Amino acid sequence: MDKGILAGLDGLPEEDKARMSAMIDHLQLRDSLRMYNSLVERCFTDCVDNFTRKTLQKQEETCVMRCAEKFLKHSMRVGMRFAELNSQAATQD
Amino acid sequence: MAANNSQPTGIDKEQAFGMAETEMEYRVELFNRLAQTCFNKCVDKRYKEAELNMGENSCIDRCVSKYWQF
Repeated sequence: MDKGILAGLDGLPEEDKARMSAMIDHLQLRDSLRMYNSLVERCFTDCVDNFTRKTLQKQEETCVMRCAEKFLKHSMRVGMRFAELNSQAATQD
Repeated sequence: MAANNSQPTGIDKEQAFGMAETEMEYRVELFNRLAQTCFNKCVDKRYKEAELNMGENSCIDRCVSKYWQF
């Protein structure tokens, strides 16, 4: 979600635009935090099974880094496709 | 009802903002669920490497497309 939405709101008075902008910022922040939390949970679940030590092993660390990178790349790709489908749907209406 | 419709009343405006917010939240939720689902279906959990391979990329594209059609 980006501020491209705001382009469609040109007709509105300044205070309304500001309010929408604040709303979008808030949603983006909340979504980023949520994504961070779900990323941590997912990579922990997938990569850490052994609790004989209390520190992360080398293998676990590598796994976690790859997991995080993969998930973020995946997320970006999904975002691109989502945006494409969104704009296709918009032009068809 | 008054004939003057050019100025939205206070209540209508609040409703409009509420609906806009709900719509945006819905889209965010849709995106999140879509991303989770397609990750679960398309990505190998063994994490042999940090990059997405070609198979995973195609899978993701198709998954997003199918989910969208739903």
